[in-house]
Amino acid sequence: MAAPILRIENISKRYGKKDVLKGASLEVNKGDLKILIGPSGAGKSTLLQCINFLVKPDEGRVWLDEQEVHYAHKRDLYAYRQKVGMIFQDFNLFDHLNALENVRIGMVKVKGMAKAEANDRAVMELERVGLGDHMQKYPAQLSGGQKQRVSIARALAMDPKVMLLDEPTSALDPELIGEVHAVIRDLGNNGMTMIMATHQIGFASSLASEIVFMEDGRILERGTPDKIFNHAENTRTREFCSKITELYGER
Amino acid sequence: MEEWLYIQTEVYPALLKGFWVSLQLILPSALCGIVIGIMVGVLRVYGSRPVTAAANAFVAVFRGIPLVVQLFIWYFGLPYIGIYLSPFIAAVLGFSLCSGAYHSEYIRGALLSIKRGQMLAAQSLGFTKVQMIFSIILPQAIRRALPGCGNEIIYLIKYSSLAYMITCIELTGEGKILASNSFKYTEIFLMIGACYLVMTSVAALFLGRLEERLRLPGFEHQRI
Repeated sequence: MAAPILRIENISKRYGKKDVLKGASLEVNKGDLKILIGPSGAGKSTLLQCINFLVKPDEGRVWLDEQEVHYAHKRDLYAYRQKVGMIFQDFNLFDHLNALENVRIGMVKVKGMAKAEANDRAVMELERVGLGDHMQKYPAQLSGGQKQRVSIARALAMDPKVMLLDEPTSALDPELIGEVHAVIRDLGNNGMTMIMATHQIGFASSLASEIVFMEDGRILERGTPDKIFNHAENTRTREFCSKITELYGER
Repeated sequence: MEEWLYIQTEVYPALLKGFWVSLQLILPSALCGIVIGIMVGVLRVYGSRPVTAAANAFVAVFRGIPLVVQLFIWYFGLPYIGIYLSPFIAAVLGFSLCSGAYHSEYIRGALLSIKRGQMLAAQSLGFTKVQMIFSIILPQAIRRALPGCGNEIIYLIKYSSLAYMITCIELTGEGKILASNSFKYTEIFLMIGACYLVMTSVAALFLGRLEERLRLPGFEHQRI
């Protein structure tokens, strides 16, 4: 068995007196799609943000490709973040740049690519997510689904080894969720390694290599979609899964 | 007839000369003021603790002391420690620092108004802090600060009239000399007032155009 591409060990985070994460550990193999589920406040978002150190964990270690990430060293941190793409619930496209510039700016500023080369790559990535006709539009002129696809293109343009997706469809109309799911499914089929927090368990169970149930800052249970959704050992997992299945319908 | 001759031979050349000096004071001061304002504003928001404290102190001093007093210090005070500034340089220095202190407050407010998500997105792509500030945050913040900064530039045009107090004879200074020679205070200061009104109107027009040019789709003002 090959070594995991991303390994996190015992990540803890505390805000004031509240322990948001109480020692979460995870191993992700190349091509895996791990789905984080759990009630809000469980620490899914914080865990994802700790993985690329947008939130600095109080404790814990992270390895990418068996190299430990020394996030206190700025240079290491910036290099690491380029290899870990992040997708946010509310898209966070750069408001002052059009779709093409949003995708291009990281390559130009961070990777130091020539503008023409970056431009070609940006066009390619936008076409890949089906936005070839919307490249000149500004974020405010795009629908939610389109914005999220631009943000995926922006992350992909940096050639990430792992993608972190923090509830990528939670802010979307039901009608727009499908187009984003299609892009994510496509990524998965092409072997992208991903960790995704979501409540869309229909989508999750059809794609996930492993479901990770979190509650109260801890990982309570993990397993295949079938195990978690149908034969969960933990009572809380079962309760949560039945509730969420009721809400989000068919699996 | 005599009046007309006086205007043609005395008033017009003097005011033209003063107007020119005023422009020479205003343009570099406005430019330096903006640059200082952006730098100080950024340091106040994103600097380390001591840097932020120093930048705050800068603003407290240059916003808190009357501008005339600052000009007197630059021009009459510095010679005591062996530094001699020309009236022109002392005026530009005083205007730039004061203007910068005010600009920094508009810039600071605008920087604070940028959503955290913009920063998270930039960081997640591997931007350094400096890259993030200069290519993501500032371009958005400056657009939001523009109305306030424009206000400050208009204000600068008017307080440039203080330069004559340290013997840099600009528009108001020339007018003062003319008026005290001829005692035609009303006429001459009406003309000078008109000159300033022209300058501030042109500046307002230019700033309005700039604002329009930088406007982003989706951020237009909606009349309700």
